[in-house]
Amino acid sequence: MRTNRQSPNLADSKPTQHVLVDQVVDYQGNFLDLLQAHSIQLQFGQNNSDGVNTALLTRLSGLGSAVTMANPPEQSLTEGTTVVAVRYQDGVIVAGDRRATAGNVVMHDRADKVLEIDEYSVMAIAGAPAVAYEMARTLEHSFQYFRRSQLQELSIEGKIRMVSRLIRDNMSLALQGIGGVIPILALFDPSHLADSSASASAGRIFFYDVLGAQFETVDFATSGSGSVWIRGVLHYLDRWSDTPLAQMDLSQATNTVLRLLDTAAEFDAATGGANVKSEIYPIIKTITQEGVQGLPAEQVRQTYQNAVLSRTMA
Amino acid sequence: MLDEHYRYLEAIQNRRDYIEDQIQAGSPVVGLVYNDGILILTVSSGQKIYEVYNHLALSAIGHTADVERLRLLVTDAASVQGFQSSVDDVTLHRLTHFVLCPPVKQSFESIFNAPTIVKILMAELGPPHKLVAVNYDGATRTSQKAEVIGGTDMVEHTMQNYMGQTDIRLGDELTLKQAFELALLTWAVGRTASSDTEYGFTLDPDRGESDQESEVEDFSTDELIGFVRAELEENHVEAGILQISKRSKSKFRRLTVEEVEDMMPLASGKAQNNK
Repeated sequence: MRTNRQSPNLADSKPTQHVLVDQVVDYQGNFLDLLQAHSIQLQFGQNNSDGVNTALLTRLSGLGSAVTMANPPEQSLTEGTTVVAVRYQDGVIVAGDRRATAGNVVMHDRADKVLEIDEYSVMAIAGAPAVAYEMARTLEHSFQYFRRSQLQELSIEGKIRMVSRLIRDNMSLALQGIGGVIPILALFDPSHLADSSASASAGRIFFYDVLGAQFETVDFATSGSGSVWIRGVLHYLDRWSDTPLAQMDLSQATNTVLRLLDTAAEFDAATGGANVKSEIYPIIKTITQEGVQGLPAEQVRQTYQNAVLSRTMA
Repeated sequence: MLDEHYRYLEAIQNRRDYIEDQIQAGSPVVGLVYNDGILILTVSSGQKIYEVYNHLALSAIGHTADVERLRLLVTDAASVQGFQSSVDDVTLHRLTHFVLCPPVKQSFESIFNAPTIVKILMAELGPPHKLVAVNYDGATRTSQKAEVIGGTDMVEHTMQNYMGQTDIRLGDELTLKQAFELALLTWAVGRTASSDTEYGFTLDPDRGESDQESEVEDFSTDELIGFVRAELEENHVEAGILQISKRSKSKFRRLTVEEVEDMMPLASGKAQNNK
């Protein structure tokens, strides 16, 4: 038997509302906004209220106290590199040396400066690796988050602008001369493939200045302290060699980038050459219709032996 | 909170009835482990299978707005967690039990608010592989080989019975084609099991409605294939896989139209005999 207690008064309840509404916000696929909503600051070049660059402090502390305390900050950040991206007949080939330096100290000789961002994008980094690696990781998550949340790939334009934004956000460190990053972004654009039967035309290479301006190159781009030594060589090869860069097959392209990195290492102390004794060879990745693929270390070693050490022509 | 518990129980039951009434027309979803990962399959007119993270996928039935909210909820949580720490820290257990289930349960029990009309199936590429079904009330069901979600408990039960009665051994010994065929036929069983509803389908108009559940287990493979073919006149097979051998970090991809067509089971004894 029912009591005379008050039954729930629906009229007094708040207007119908979905409980989950307050917990889910559509960030339109913008990963940086998502991070901000979760109070995660990237701190690219941002100073705190005391005027102290927190990003710099974080990076320095990560290098190890001995190095940090013994050297002034400008010598503690590792930089100095040669990375190169070349269009060849199947897409783009990207290569980078393995050396990371701090001033005149070789900090690391197995650095990977050619980073896969997503299935069809690679970023080759030159500059302060602490910032560069963070940028690459942010980009990787940004591209993937857009695809997963918006159910479509981020456009090529969207990708290259995202890189620009991250470089601009890092302007503070770059202007201090201690945290600048000048990457190369290489992509395979299937929409270009539809317009042409040549896969090389679908390979696209973008490079940036330290303030984030973006430029698309036609056939090649190179960055880092060793790039000045090979840029002219690339132009020469593209213009006057028997096989223009975009017409090279994978074997020719691999030989070419290995020789270019060897040349850069010859003149630039901050660029590491191959270390046969320790079996350290450049990192090489290709971006083709099949996606990003890293050349196996054994294949790079064999090619280096044949194309560089024994000077065998392709 | 109501001071009369039976009123609360009545309200909850009404809510359950309402949600099930809304959701019973949903096209079932089947998740199956195979020898190169996990297959998720359904038949739909739109998109119902989603990538959540490198090794995680999600599918759902229910109201589109609710599915989208929950999909974004887990996608956001996985992305932030993966960025902050590591992909290894983004696990299905954490996402379902700590991110997904609490608000779903809260929504279900908030009887003065609009309910969440959704059932979710999530998959995690292992090892060990894992499939978790999340009910509209926040309850979960976990499997390492096969899992289904359907419009009603009866539909899910019938689908699981069908898979259990086949002579196919579930698990990572299945090829993708075998898993695809089994998943598609299981979907057909689930869809036909809905035939006692106004949204359901009847293979044989002469069959009575009262014993559909028992009779659905007797359908032949050819009948089920014929049913699928008829269904495909308006809808399409949607299949996504979490593929171990996929080269990139993200292991999810959709099966192409060509792949689906190649794997479509054939009638007249050419398909896997499940009898």
